[in-house]
Amino acid sequence: MDITFLLNGESVHLDSVDPTVTLLDWLRETRGLTGTKEGCNEGDCGACTVMVQDAGGARALNACILFLPQLHGKAVRTVEGIAAPDGRLHPVQEAMVTYHGSQCGFCTPGFVVAMATAHLNGDTGFDDALAGNLCRCTGYAPIIRAAEAAADQPVPDWLADAAPEAPPPRAHPDGHGAPRWHAPEDVDELAELCARHPEAVLVAGATDVGLWVTKGLRDLDEVIFLGRCRDLQEIEEVAGGLRIGAGVTMDRVLEAMRPRHPAYAEMIRRYGSAQVRAAATIGGNIANGSPIGDNPPALIALGATLHLRFRETRREMPLEEFFLDYGKQDRHPGEFVEAITLPPQPDRLRVYKLSKRFDQDISAVCGAFNITVEDGRVESARIAFGGMAGVPKRARAVEAALTGKPWTEETVISAWDAWERDFQPMDDMRASAAYRLTAARNMLSRCLLDDLGAATNVLEVRA
Amino acid sequence: MAKDEFKEFRLVGTRPDRPDGLDKVTGRARYGADISAPGMLWGAVVRSPHAHARIVSIDTSRAEALEGVKAVVTRADFPTGLTGEDWDLQENTMAGERALYDGHAVAAVAATSKLRAEEAARLIDVTYEVLPHVIDVDDAIKPDAPVIREGAADATVPEGMPPNVVRYMEFGHGNVEAGFAEADLVREGHYKTEATHQGYIEPHACLGQLGGDGKGEMWVCTQGQWFIRKMCAGVLGLDAAQLRVTPSEIGGGFGGKTTIFMEPLSLALSRKAGGKPVKIVMTRSEVLRATGPTASASMDVRIGMKKDGTLTAARAEFRMQGGAFPGSPVDMALYCAFAPYKLDHVAHVGYDVLANRPKCAAYRAPGSPMGAFAVESLIDEMCRELGLDPMEVRLKNAVREGDRASYGPKFASIGLVETLEATRAHPNLAEPLGPNQGRGVASGYWFNHNGETSVSLAISEDGTAQVSIGTPDIGGSRASIALMTAETLGIPYEDVRVNVVETGALGVNEPTHGSRATFASGKAAVLAAGQAITEMCRRAAAEWGIEPEAVEWVDGAAQPAGPNAGKFPPMSIAEIAGKMGETGGPISGHHESVPEGVGASFGCHVVDVEVDPETGRVTILRYLVVQDAGRAIHPAYVEGQYQGGAAQGIGWALNEAYIYDDKGRLQNPVFLDYRVPVASDLPMIDTVIVEVPNPGHPYGVRGVGETGITPPLPAIANAIQDATGARLRALPMNPPAVLAALKAARGA
Repeated sequence: MDITFLLNGESVHLDSVDPTVTLLDWLRETRGLTGTKEGCNEGDCGACTVMVQDAGGARALNACILFLPQLHGKAVRTVEGIAAPDGRLHPVQEAMVTYHGSQCGFCTPGFVVAMATAHLNGDTGFDDALAGNLCRCTGYAPIIRAAEAAADQPVPDWLADAAPEAPPPRAHPDGHGAPRWHAPEDVDELAELCARHPEAVLVAGATDVGLWVTKGLRDLDEVIFLGRCRDLQEIEEVAGGLRIGAGVTMDRVLEAMRPRHPAYAEMIRRYGSAQVRAAATIGGNIANGSPIGDNPPALIALGATLHLRFRETRREMPLEEFFLDYGKQDRHPGEFVEAITLPPQPDRLRVYKLSKRFDQDISAVCGAFNITVEDGRVESARIAFGGMAGVPKRARAVEAALTGKPWTEETVISAWDAWERDFQPMDDMRASAAYRLTAARNMLSRCLLDDLGAATNVLEVRA
Repeated sequence: MAKDEFKEFRLVGTRPDRPDGLDKVTGRARYGADISAPGMLWGAVVRSPHAHARIVSIDTSRAEALEGVKAVVTRADFPTGLTGEDWDLQENTMAGERALYDGHAVAAVAATSKLRAEEAARLIDVTYEVLPHVIDVDDAIKPDAPVIREGAADATVPEGMPPNVVRYMEFGHGNVEAGFAEADLVREGHYKTEATHQGYIEPHACLGQLGGDGKGEMWVCTQGQWFIRKMCAGVLGLDAAQLRVTPSEIGGGFGGKTTIFMEPLSLALSRKAGGKPVKIVMTRSEVLRATGPTASASMDVRIGMKKDGTLTAARAEFRMQGGAFPGSPVDMALYCAFAPYKLDHVAHVGYDVLANRPKCAAYRAPGSPMGAFAVESLIDEMCRELGLDPMEVRLKNAVREGDRASYGPKFASIGLVETLEATRAHPNLAEPLGPNQGRGVASGYWFNHNGETSVSLAISEDGTAQVSIGTPDIGGSRASIALMTAETLGIPYEDVRVNVVETGALGVNEPTHGSRATFASGKAAVLAAGQAITEMCRRAAAEWGIEPEAVEWVDGAAQPAGPNAGKFPPMSIAEIAGKMGETGGPISGHHESVPEGVGASFGCHVVDVEVDPETGRVTILRYLVVQDAGRAIHPAYVEGQYQGGAAQGIGWALNEAYIYDDKGRLQNPVFLDYRVPVASDLPMIDTVIVEVPNPGHPYGVRGVGETGITPPLPAIANAIQDATGARLRALPMNPPAVLAALKAARGA
């Protein structure tokens, strides 16, 4: 199949693309654009950050886990395309020189592109916008100062890329032994493709599948890219609740949750960098079924319903029932996650994410609490955890121990034994089983204190 | 030379844009992986999945049969009979009879593409016989520990020591027992630190070419091109002069790029592939598993203190493992441990221990952070116990010029007292602290280093100057050397271009290590500029027909020295340079030496933390670095070193660690699991540059690169105790460890 995109303002057309070649490798090895750096090849260091623009706006993405077909119809800018064609520097480049934002300079291209993207979007929350870029030399202060200094400067006109006209990629008979790939235009076409190719790997943001290829060196036989299915990317109000298409990226979920469930929004902000949030989708996060995925606990606590589809046949289930066992989900061959729905409800959600590093770290424990209290008694409790079992799991015994009881410290203490009925967590490098259980219990205490308005005054878990 | 004897400078101490600034923000700067050559092959390395295993057999036939594979090498392709450090480097480059750690290279392959090379590496069949292994230093030093290498101990190790002790040391002065007897309080503490990695963002990368005639070339990211040359030549049995090594821009090193890892493999593969160039770029996982992290340490410290805070005696016993080879920085850890304190009675004991881990490399002030963690923690505890202000106790015991250092020599000019006084005066110390918040203070020390240095300076025909240096620029040293050269020559900063050159262009240079680049290459550049000035004065004198001694150099021009020398208008550098062809040929200056006059650098850090009592999470609220720079040539890059050192120390203190499973395999060899601090983990780190000029350098420079990583480890531990009453004596102080300490403190 062939693809078309803009690269630093110039049109690129590629025939017969191997769908598992990353943008980073292509830029460096084929195109000779070595300004984009490889520091980790897994989306953690941001040295390969590129700017990708389409109708939805400009986003910073990690080129190391971005497959070429994902760029079809988009406009890409690398560090070589941030300055004007005549060499005039972008304000963030000027500021990085003036404020001495480079020491060794290896991370600088990634920072420049992430900063230019934030600048274009008028985003001045730099700790957050740049949290996906590692610098080991500076301690970040001069970089943040440079970003602040450039913030008032106008956006250079040369960055206004119009995404190119891009018809559906044309199929070629493929002679290279490269994986077959598809890029359906809508959900109906996707449903048909999934049914016909039940073994195909679905790729939305590639933040996980990208690692299968770059780290696991896994060969994929057949790939279906979801990025062109616009109707999979909608967020709709349905009967007072919310329906979120599986293809909605986490940066948009964050925006949708900010007014509704701010604790969930803050947790999303923490669990992935701007680059990862702009690529990763809610459907991908759920479908992978990771026991430490951070979305499912919050969604389960909110009473989310999962919508699966096989051709025209649709199934729905409470999200917690989708996760059968470690690595095993209730998804039939050819079936795919179409959407998730959240019932209308007042916001009572509290989410506590515990990781060794505050931002962008895998949770040791992630707990979500949705506790309704009437007249001082717990009327209902939905509590779910990640990191405490082989799957994201509800704390049903704890919920039962709380329900109907006064919402007090005594009740929290009385639920002590219930935790061990719900969870037998593992020891691993992120935390010991004992620490996980202690932390989970403490999260309930924290939840109570927060409800009672006691100032806990600590950044960590208050999402 | 006292501070006030320094005149005001025109350029030194200003903050111009760095000469390589544009290259770095536009992506034009070329790093290790950014160069390719026509006909180039890609190399990939097969690595041991076992911590310790006998290599029974290596079958390369399936890989060799793969289309596009041009060469496969194993240890059999390397010369035999090496000894000492050459043997260690060769053994670390490619395992011989046994794989000694998870990630140890056992074979390498070169093929026509990166993917093909990786595929071929997977087709190399290695049969292992797994052997017992040992990871922790306290386990490794046990008498019955698995023996990593028979006969590795050197002559310093007395008879009867456990088998993995390969170096032993004892030194000190005075009589510590008598000193302890004078104390009102004697306390002992046991401390442990885990290995961490430098975490440079650029993975190791090289492009090597070697012909059957023993002539070769290499493009490589390194802190020291001559070290690469010497080590590769040693490992491969080549003549050093036949290898030309060109350093790329370097994406961070922090000590970790002062030695070789896969570089000899690219040369060996190239030779076997008929001289085709071979590029090898490490993955992040290879960097973490198989390059040189720092050592891990187990330390006992005993200190005696009087009620007024006077230290009477101190003793340290440190055990460090630096991987499966000798060379942990236990000696330097001991030298630095008590360096900030004047001690009449001090004793040190050190053990260098082998374990089944990668061969450690230098990491920013190697050893000093561990020793400081132990000593500065214990001093803080004793101050608490005696109700003394830790700043006052540090000042009371501070070493001064002429004092005997804890490790022996007399201190030359040092600025510890000035540093502590500047710290005490900083407004951060007056910030109020809330509940669960605490403040910690700690000092740190690094000797700084000189090393073999060779610099060449040439005046161009237009009166601009080029300086060839041999120390790769990691943090802005081209800017500082250009400033000093321009200051000396009396010309604009922009008129000097400083180039980091290949091994064929200069005499031998040690790497950019030991905080030496601005000191040593800078001093050599200033002396080389002085030679050029002498020559230019001679040319002017010849034209004027006066004695060369009657000419002086002022503001970039030769002029008669005083009224008796004659009346001539100043002759500018451009004028002299413009006619150099007619007046005697090229004008240049050189300096080669191991420059004398290294100035040591002390620092003091103050950190405010907040501890979450329910999860054990520590948040850094405020951070202050105060350090003696001697003189800050380019203050922005001095501050950059201070902040960068502190940031790495904060990561080490709170989160970073090598985590092994029970089979001795590294569990976190990716940035996803080896978490270095991001912007939101750190406050804007405050800095104060103290300037007590080093009389051993023409502009007063001390090295500034390393001291800054040392104090954060104990300062944060001290702050946690201040906030919570809980004392952590092991790193990292991550949430589980802090929560456990809080529980223990509550229970106590």
